[in-house]
Amino acid sequence: MSKPLLQARDLTKVFRLKSGLFAKHSGHVAVRSVNLELAQRERIGVVGESGSGKSTLGRLLLGLTPPTEGEVLFEGISHQGRRAGDWSKFRMQTALVQQNPLSALDPQMCIGEQVAEPVWIHRVADRAGARDRAADMLEKVGLSAAMMSRFPHQMSGGQRQRVVLARALILQPKLIVFDEPVSALDVSVQAQVVSLLRSLSRDLGLAYVFITHDLRIVRHLVDRIAVVYLGRIVETGDIRSIYEWARHPYTRALLASVPTMDTRVRGVEPPIRGELDISTITQGCAFRSRCPYAIDRCAAEVPVLRHVAHQEVACHRAEDFPRPATARGGDRTWPGLEIK
Amino acid sequence: MSNFLTVRDLVVQGPARAIKIIDGISFSLDAGQTLGLVGESGCGKSMTCYAIARALPRGIAQTGGSITFDNGSGSAGKPEESRIAMIFQDPTSSLNPVHTIGYYLTSSLYRHQGLKGNDARLEAIRLLERVGITQAESRLRSYPHELSGGMNQRVMIAHALAARPKLLIADEPTTALDVTTQAQILHLLEELRSETGMALLIVSHDLGVIARLADRAAVMYCGKIVEIAPTDELLERPAHPYARALVDCMPSIDPDDAEPPIPIPGAVPLLQNLPAGCHFHPRCPRASQRCTASFPGSTNVGPLHETSCYHPAVA
Repeated sequence: MSKPLLQARDLTKVFRLKSGLFAKHSGHVAVRSVNLELAQRERIGVVGESGSGKSTLGRLLLGLTPPTEGEVLFEGISHQGRRAGDWSKFRMQTALVQQNPLSALDPQMCIGEQVAEPVWIHRVADRAGARDRAADMLEKVGLSAAMMSRFPHQMSGGQRQRVVLARALILQPKLIVFDEPVSALDVSVQAQVVSLLRSLSRDLGLAYVFITHDLRIVRHLVDRIAVVYLGRIVETGDIRSIYEWARHPYTRALLASVPTMDTRVRGVEPPIRGELDISTITQGCAFRSRCPYAIDRCAAEVPVLRHVAHQEVACHRAEDFPRPATARGGDRTWPGLEIK
Repeated sequence: MSNFLTVRDLVVQGPARAIKIIDGISFSLDAGQTLGLVGESGCGKSMTCYAIARALPRGIAQTGGSITFDNGSGSAGKPEESRIAMIFQDPTSSLNPVHTIGYYLTSSLYRHQGLKGNDARLEAIRLLERVGITQAESRLRSYPHELSGGMNQRVMIAHALAARPKLLIADEPTTALDVTTQAQILHLLEELRSETGMALLIVSHDLGVIARLADRAAVMYCGKIVEIAPTDELLERPAHPYARALVDCMPSIDPDDAEPPIPIPGAVPLLQNLPAGCHFHPRCPRASQRCTASFPGSTNVGPLHETSCYHPAVA
């Protein structure tokens, strides 16, 4: 087996909360004991609700924020051991694409300059060379080189996201972290970005981490999925096994929440109630306060990730959940999530 | 027919009079019914809502057609007299950050129902509990920034209910929310509609949202309705190529259907330079010479199923 591109070992991030009388003791655990491995050219989806710690995980992986415990290794070298010069080399090989393309772009700089900027910052080419590369890259993401002189406000949301993508790709990075890159876009524009990302990752041999809350889009873009709940990975496996038979009640709830084009699910109760609840984070399974299947054991004992069928699941009752039935030729339905 | 809301040949124009933001759309909505408006950004969905709510932005005005309400009394009322409430895409920025949730709700209850003091407070608590907010009493003292996006959208819905609306307009109510919260909010809207008997007009770019709520759906493109049909019918037998394309670009979660969503080529044209004839023809796989010449009139392609296309798909 070849050496992994990226490894996260027991990654934990605690944010200290400074307000309040008992400030010394309070802290919010955003990411807890996460282990993740990404091979060259591998694509993984990190899925969870807002507040589940998935964006923090992305920032930890890129060394944009230091971990409280654990370490991240890129091509076998730990972020902690990296010196200033090595960081610059690391930055050339990685990129981050965020949700809102308008705030990621400088409103006062024309598109061509912004896309070319990484090239001359890292002194890969002179300004003229950088311009040529930018024009090339813009065409690769489906924009014309004629757009180089435009400004971000003159473009549509989908075009801006392509510009951000071109800027991220221009140094031919080995790893990209996408943080909800399509959530702010129309479904039709999402489909365009999806097909662009699929062909680019095939042509350029990209490895990436795709962070999202939407299980519809991510399955067409990645090989593997890790579902996170309050900082922990609760289920991970390859695309097919997750979509065919998810074993964690949280993954199943996320799947059941997806609005499909099936009109028969009208009036069906939502699969889970409430929002992320950090009161249960300290002991037992953090999901138990929202889980319809919680038993006494869930409050007492933290479930650890273990192999169940083709995936790894952190649930005491992982074996109890049946395979969802296939609906009339269409999407598999996950109503009620009935148990055997 | 006792249509509660009838929109006929509605035209909405901006300051530059040559540009029609809404170009002659007609539809109707029964009391207690749900109509979905679907289409890409910039096709006039939101402007239709603003026109119905008589809340068009400055400089933009209705210049043709009519919007009438039938309050069941036999006489057609003015829109102002019919109770309309509206909720928006981004609840956190729609709420005033300097007022508490309690102030927001009680002032609305005073305006619409004349409730004061403790009566208003108790009613506000009842409304918050109805929309699924726990510890409602202490939440009255909260500010919008202390609540999550999903909670704020619930507050917006409670605020809308305070007006006892006969029509609730929901403009992309769940686009900014997580899928789990989205499922909860959509379910809440459906429950409230059947409980209060209000009509619901839901706008979304996502056919999945439309499928969960709407009885009928209208597909909009460049200020025109190009297809209108019962939701089931539209999803299974879209007649207009644009409706077909919207259905095809929906990603599926079925493991046996591994096909990635098919993007629609091109982009929505700017209103300043709409293509002649059918506005969709440059992006349309079925376009012919005729489509470049004139805009197709509305034709029936099934029961209650109308489309404006020279080459509709036939079932």
